[in-house]
Amino acid sequence: MTRITDDVIIRTVARILIPFIQLYALYVIMHGHHSPGGGFQGGVILGASFILYLLTHGLEETKIRMSEIKAGLFSSFGLLIYSGIGLLCLILGSNYLDYGKLSTILKVMPAQARSLGILGVEIGVGIAVMAVMFSIFFDISTGGELPEDEQNKRGAR
Amino acid sequence: MEVTVLVQATDKAFEILEKARNEARELLYTSAKLTSETKSLAEKREARAFLSGAQQARLALRNFTITFFILFIFWILLSARFDAFHLTLGIICSVLVAYLSHDLLFFNVRLGDFRIRARRFLQAGPWFLGQIFSANLHVAYLALSPRMPIDPQIIRFKTKLESDISWVAMANSITLTPGTITVDIREGEFFVHALDKKVAYDLNTGEMEDKIAHVLMEADHVYIQDVLDVSRIFGALK
Repeated sequence: MTRITDDVIIRTVARILIPFIQLYALYVIMHGHHSPGGGFQGGVILGASFILYLLTHGLEETKIRMSEIKAGLFSSFGLLIYSGIGLLCLILGSNYLDYGKLSTILKVMPAQARSLGILGVEIGVGIAVMAVMFSIFFDISTGGELPEDEQNKRGAR
Repeated sequence: MEVTVLVQATDKAFEILEKARNEARELLYTSAKLTSETKSLAEKREARAFLSGAQQARLALRNFTITFFILFIFWILLSARFDAFHLTLGIICSVLVAYLSHDLLFFNVRLGDFRIRARRFLQAGPWFLGQIFSANLHVAYLALSPRMPIDPQIIRFKTKLESDISWVAMANSITLTPGTITVDIREGEFFVHALDKKVAYDLNTGEMEDKIAHVLMEADHVYIQDVLDVSRIFGALK
């Protein structure tokens, strides 16, 4: 069970840095086409910010911010965005993930529609990666206990 | 007859004074409790219970707005692109991150404190830079002189600062100043490794503590001028 750390410097500096880490992660996702980065890299950084919060502030307070249920929902949501955009291109009459066809909905040139399509897909990837990294770490730190097990244990006592 | 009226009037006046004095003392204690940063989120929520619902909403809104602006400036520093698309992306991302983490950056700053703290921070900044500069010169002299007159020692001292952020600001300022490094903070005591007697002496005078307490508006901190200003009120209350 991860506890809140006793060291006040680590706790305070981590809490101040976390918004900047998250913004940097979003910057990496959004600028995937201009500079090194993209969906997966930004998602890892975003997940790392939550893991930092878990390491420094303990399990109880992290559960309030991002619980296992929310992490599960986010991972599915990221996947939904990814395959949703792909299916949208399919529905519009072209191949799967052929973003050029999105220009009929978005009213821009096909080249720009491709750029926006990729951006959307990267955002989906980023969200999913963040959620999965966080849930892996969360599962390790709870020792694999599910909330139902905890409740049963408390009820049995 | 007039004497009775006079006595009644004096009694009433004393009653009013007594009530005012009690209310002022309550206010003093509440503000002292709210000033020091609490050690955990649970305590923070208890302390916030002092505020009404509308005040909590205002606090959250203020934290959100300031965090949004700081994050947006950070975004602009990162991506130096000023076309509408990237700026809109920046605004959306800053709003999202500010919404997720707005209570992290300014953990327990009272309403109305922020402008004062920002102004005092900008005023105290050059002093800190000056300290770093002069300490740099001293350490350079120590390192470059042929017999290297260093005298490493670890100092322990208790500070009068009481909130988390003050301790961290103090520890980081000590580490940033060449010649001293904060080794640990245990139970409110600082353990600092100092390079020689002069830097240890500079630390022990407590000037850095004073400046940090002034910037962060610590409850126990008192400047001579503040004492002179409020001494009349303090004397009357106590």
